[in-house]
Order: sequence, then C-alpha cells, then structure tokens
Amino acid sequence: MDDHLIGIVSNIGVISFVALSAYLLLLTGEISFGQQAFFAIGAYTSGIVTAMWQLPFALGLGAGAATGAAAALLVGLPTLRLHGLQFAIATLAFAEAVRILFELFRYQIVRDGELVGPNGIEGFRNIRYIFENDVSATEFMLIIYGLLGATLFGLFLLERSRLGTAFRMIGEDDLLAATQGVAVVPVKLTAACLAGTIAGLGGGLYAHLTTYVEPAIFDVMLGVHSLAYGLIGGLGTAFGPLLGVVIDIGLLESTRWFAGYRMIVFGGLVAVLLIVRPRGLLDEQLVHRIRRAVRRRPRPSPANDTVLGKELS
Amino acid sequence: MIAVPGFLLSLLVAMVLSGSGLAAGVKAKAEVSCAATAKSLEYDCAIKLSDQRSGAALTGVDVTVGADMPSMPMAHNVKPVKAVPDSAAGTYRARILLEMHGDWAVKVDLAGPVRDRIVKSMRFEPKP
Amino acid sequence: MEAMLEIADVVTAYGKIEALKGVSLSAAKGRITCLLGPNGAGKTTLMMSIAGALKPRQGSIRLEGSELVGLSPARIVGNGVALVPENRLVFPQMSVRENLLAGAYQRNDSGEVTADIERMYARFPRLKERREQLAGTLSGGEQQMLAVARALMSRPRLLLMDEPSLGLAPIVVKEIFGIIAELNREGVTIFLVEQNAHLALQVAHHFYLMEQGRVTFSGNPGELAEDEVIKRAYLGTRRSAG
Repeated sequence: MDDHLIGIVSNIGVISFVALSAYLLLLTGEISFGQQAFFAIGAYTSGIVTAMWQLPFALGLGAGAATGAAAALLVGLPTLRLHGLQFAIATLAFAEAVRILFELFRYQIVRDGELVGPNGIEGFRNIRYIFENDVSATEFMLIIYGLLGATLFGLFLLERSRLGTAFRMIGEDDLLAATQGVAVVPVKLTAACLAGTIAGLGGGLYAHLTTYVEPAIFDVMLGVHSLAYGLIGGLGTAFGPLLGVVIDIGLLESTRWFAGYRMIVFGGLVAVLLIVRPRGLLDEQLVHRIRRAVRRRPRPSPANDTVLGKELS
Repeated sequence: MIAVPGFLLSLLVAMVLSGSGLAAGVKAKAEVSCAATAKSLEYDCAIKLSDQRSGAALTGVDVTVGADMPSMPMAHNVKPVKAVPDSAAGTYRARILLEMHGDWAVKVDLAGPVRDRIVKSMRFEPKP
Repeated sequence: MEAMLEIADVVTAYGKIEALKGVSLSAAKGRITCLLGPNGAGKTTLMMSIAGALKPRQGSIRLEGSELVGLSPARIVGNGVALVPENRLVFPQMSVRENLLAGAYQRNDSGEVTADIERMYARFPRLKERREQLAGTLSGGEQQMLAVARALMSRPRLLLMDEPSLGLAPIVVKEIFGIIAELNREGVTIFLVEQNAHLALQVAHHFYLMEQGRVTFSGNPGELAEDEVIKRAYLGTRRSAG
C-alpha cells in the first residue's frame, strides 16, 4: 500500500466513527446535525492530553471519548425532550456554538521552544505523537481499524441486546415504545452518550492522524455528511454507515472520477436514495432477508468435512 | 465475527509497537512559499526544511506535499505530489494543482531519514 | 362487582382545550367494558390518559385501588396495563417475533416469555406462519392480531383496546371480536373503545356513551335500544336533538 492509499483508508476509518455516531441516533429516530461537535471535543481533548500534557496516547483517546460522552449527556438532557425538526435544529445550533468556542479557545504552552496548543482560529498544530513515538502510517491505520472493529463488535452486541431493541422500538414509534414499557427519555439519553463516546474516540484518532485540527474542520458540512452516510449506506446494520463512508470517500473522492463535482454527485445520490430507498442501501428489509438466508443455509455435512480435510492434507 | 478477534489482535500488536517506539530525535521546521504559475490553479511551492532545534538544513528527505480545505472535510484534498530537491541544501520544490482558490491547509510530509508532518495554513488567490 | 379500573373526574387538556371535562367510569374485573361515542368525544384521549402517554390535569385513575396518574407509561405497563393503540399498531421494520418480544420488554423471565410466544402462535396460527416476516408487510387484520398478541405478552391485568375494528374488512372485524370474547372468557379484563356499536354491544357486559369530553350514559346492553345507542354513538344527542 502506498502512503496515499494508507491515508485514504485511514480517513475512511476515522470518518466512520462520526458516521456511526450519527447512525446510533438515527436508530432512535433522531436526526442530529451536531455529531461533529463531539468529534471536535474528542480531537481537542486527546490532542491536549498527548501533545501538551505528554501523557500516553491511550489515555488521550480515553479522555477524548469520555469528554465526548460527558458533552453528549449535557446536551442531551435539555434537547432530547425535543422531537424531529426541533431536535435537529438544537443540535445544529449546539455544534456551531462549539465550533465558535473553539475559535476563541486559546491554551498554549511552550515545548521545545515552540508554542503548542489550541490557538483559536489558527487551530491546534503539532499533535505529533505518531512522529515522536515512531508509529508508522500503517501501524496507525491498524490502530484505527482495530478500534473501529471493536466499536462495530460492540454495536453488534448492542443491537442484539435489550437496550438495542429499545433503540429500534423508539426509532420506529416512540409512543408505541413507551406503551410497551420502554422508558423513552433515559434510553435516548443513553443512545446520545454512546454516540458522543464514539464521536469523541474518532475525534482523538483524527487529531493524531492529521497532526492538526482547526475549528473550520468541524463545520456543519461534516455533520451533514455523517448523517448522510447512514442514510445512504442503510439503517439496517452498523455496516450501513460504513458503506456510506466507503462510497463517499473511497469512491467519489479518492478516484477523482467526478473531480470538483463530487459534492453535486453526492447530494444527488442522497436525494435519489431518499426517494427510492428511504432507509438506505442496507435497510432493515435487506438485512432481515440476508439474516434469514444465512440462517436457512444448511450446515456442511460431515462428508464434506472429510473431503475438505483430505484436500488440505 | 471471526474477523473481530483478528482486529483486536492487530490492535494489541499496534499498541505494543507504538508504545515501544523511541522518541524520534528530529523535529522538523518548514518554510513554505507558493507562487502561481502560468497555468490556472497550479502553484509552484518552495519548501525549506531545517531542524527545529539546531537550525541545520535537512537534506535527503522524501518530501511529499498535499493540501486540503479545512472547511470541506475529506473533500477537495489534493493528491500529494513528491517534491524534488532544489539547489540549496534543505530546499525542495513541488507543483500542486488545486481545485479552487481559497484557504488551504498545505501538508508537508517527510519520510526517509526524518519522519514528520508540517501543516501550513495558506491562502491561494487568483492572479491579479 | 369488583372494579379493575376506576376513573374519577379526569380532566385532560391539550393546551387550553379540555378534551376530557371530568370523566368518571369504571371497568369491572373479568368483564368487557365498552366506551362508545362519536369522533372527537375524547375516547382516545381517555385511553392515552390511562396509559400515561397524556397527563391528566386533575382526577384519579386507579388500577385495583392503586393510583396510575403521575406514573410514566413504562411504570403503568409494569403495573399491568397493556394498550392496543389506534392505528399505529406494530413496529413495521421489526419481525413478527421481535414485535412479540417487544411486548415482553419489561419481563425478565425469558423462558416463560418463549413459552408465551408459543402460546400466541397457537392462538394466532397466521402469526406463526409469518413469524420471521417484517410486521409492516402483514395485512391490516394480521397487524391487529399481532398488536393484540403483543399486548398480551406483557401478561396484563387490564387490556385497553382503542378501535380494534378501524379500517378492517367486516369478516376480519368479526374474527377480532371473536378473539376479544375468547380472551375475556379466559379471564382477561378488557376496556374497549369502539365505533362499531353493533359488534361492541354483542361482546360488552357494560357500556358507556361519551360525548364532547363527558360520559352521557352508562348501562348494560339491552337497557337502551340498539338503534338509539348507534345513533348516539355516531352522532351524539345534541346533534340528533337539534
């Protein structure tokens, strides 16, 4: 793999975290335009922990995830009583407020004769952990995908759990969910916290991947994209948003087939999909059909096993 | 499902590898200036690399120059190009082709004897 | 007759508009009680108030003596009240089986839950045939049956049904009312809101008429001529008088 390819694959991995974060809220039926704020909070926090306080990388990531969760809890308490459009607007307003706060945020210390730390609109440079500790681009890509794999595994366990069932029930019909005995607001708050954790973790990885962050990166554009990934890729499984990221960054951006017209193609794709497949490519029905097909497939008989065994030996 | 333990294992390995790495000695400093060329949106960038601490010129480094637009995350990033050494020690040149004018974050990636990345915020405007 | 549900002087409002203006009624244990009335009388508002989805401004709703007003919908389910809501019957993107499990959301006895699902399949063979199908792909009648089965999965003391005949073909409506009567014979207390007065009077032990947020009549089937009940259930007294 050449460096450029590693860069693209790493980007896909990192952006997948924001996409999964938005997806988790979409599962509960809420549209958030603000997940990029938790991504930003995670990025700044983990950058401060490693580049300024000189603490280990794992601690930086943990701190990023934890502040993402804490921020999501604080925002969720007042906003999760809102619904639909009101909630969407509230998350948008919050995210823009966070971005502007980062434009004002200055906290720098001198390291090696140079100022390090967030410097308002100039951003936060020199988050050089991977260079200082000689982590290769390939190794860092493995770290990203290791954590992404662990997150996905966690989401799969969640979807099979009682809590995951509650997310889907609320997403389909919150009143009906309440009349089945689901405590709607606490369950939604849990979803928001988990989404904040995932975005914060992704932000930490992003800061260390690019070595610099600045408020402009966490523009609403990123939030809209993260939402769109789930809506394109599908809401039936956590693989849906990943598919969305791969289509957008992997196909549209990286191949340059559409050069400067990518946004137009992407916007058009979202519009068309919302009409023909409102719950995305990997929607519940397709996932359901695949699960049934897999369950129905007969187990290989012992005879086959021996044949395979002979061939191998 | 089988892929998951594999992922976790690779994560563990990568964590151990990253933890065992010794702090690399050199921190690079770069001065970048880009001039418009005859071709629209193409810029000729001169890069001067030095050691942040000693001030010595950094020679023999693999330099790659890329750029992206912070306000369009993951979009409009310029495919990185290799820079070639210029006449003076520690100087390199690269031509980048942007997609539009505006504020860009120019990324200078160093490989070989020195590994580092320097990011410069630069504004590219049409020729007057 | 021992009361399962006792509602006293309940006022529920949407902003300034009072949809319930002091409703009092009761549903006897082990019986089918039916609430009839024209559109806009406040029947669904009353159901939502019992289930906790709407908060009454005043009055009390007691289930075997314990107060439900002020509890969250989740707590009310835990107390043994199951609602089959009007119109929004099932979780369309979940399978039939998952819908049944959703009804048992608050139960922790997974072995018994599995046994209950088998019981539901025995009672509703069509749900068994379609158990892996997404609920949104079922017919209207099948969705209604699924909604009833899902409500039973919480093992309720009181089953609330809001307009179970709505939008269904007459033959399916008959089947649903057959099920209602059968469930009641097995001991389930049912409080039913219905537009179809003719069928409702066939299964109900007691009925109420409601108009413009108030109960205007309480009696047993037979106490009032059926055509009079139907007239009042569809049109209300005020309009029929005027």
